[in-house]
Amino acid sequence: MAAASSSSTESPKTTTERRGIPGAQFVEDVETYLTQTGFDVNSALAFLQERLQQYKLVEMKLLAQQRDLQAKIPDIEKCLDVVATLEAKKGTGEALIADFEVSEGIYSRACIEDNDSVCLWLGANVMLEYSCEEATLLLKKNLENAKASLEVLIADLQFLRDQVTVTQVVSLFYIILHS
Amino acid sequence: MILKGTGGSETEVTWEDQQNINKFGRLNNRFHELEDEIKVAKEAIDNLEDASNELILTDEEVVRFQIGEVFAHVPKEEVETRIEEMKELNSKNLEKLEEEKESVVAQMAELKKILYGKFKDSINLEED
Repeated sequence: MAAASSSSTESPKTTTERRGIPGAQFVEDVETYLTQTGFDVNSALAFLQERLQQYKLVEMKLLAQQRDLQAKIPDIEKCLDVVATLEAKKGTGEALIADFEVSEGIYSRACIEDNDSVCLWLGANVMLEYSCEEATLLLKKNLENAKASLEVLIADLQFLRDQVTVTQVVSLFYIILHS
Repeated sequence: MILKGTGGSETEVTWEDQQNINKFGRLNNRFHELEDEIKVAKEAIDNLEDASNELILTDEEVVRFQIGEVFAHVPKEEVETRIEEMKELNSKNLEKLEEEKESVVAQMAELKKILYGKFKDSINLEED
């Protein structure tokens, strides 16, 4: 459905799209719009309903991504905490004694000697050894990236919800016109 | 939030109205998210309170303090300091969230006034 608004002199009432999400066109006067484009109420309405379905799918995908990121961020912060604690212990010369979970409900004691490196799990069955400083840098960078991605995602969701609202309102115009 | 079209009313919805409606929707979503976040922050503070109370009662010199996924053996004073810091952090966070919530509620009230003013019964901005 091409957005043809030849006679409108108002500023464009739609952001064409954002990162693959199509923008919804806000039509103030649906009757004029229909006569201009030659569409009938039913097909216009059907198009909008389909759009709403598409928006719903995209929303679910974005929400899943948001949940993943929101789980990832505290994880990275926990890792940073551990590395910081190890670094703090480095100066004192004493070993860090920690209890860790071997299996559910079963813990074992570990004695972590003074050393300069940590191993970071990068995913895909890959673990790399880093010095404490490098590890801190890497983790901080990952944390920043995750937070930035989350912000972009939230903005995407806001844009999406706006388009859904506009589509719902315009659908209502058609329904009122039709009735 | 729904826009009910009452058959005969010919109130026009302008682009500005649409933007107000969009803004209201966004604020409403943010409001619910904030309520959840505030709940989580309050629980965290309660847990920290309980922890520091337990700490006062215990006679052990070394406490197992959770860092990441492991429980490190940390001297009691250090644990006390850490818990105080965490409580500070969480309180500040909670304060920030409460402030944001108040601002969101105020903005929503403003928008409600404007939208109800123009559309009266044709629009419903309440929670169902």
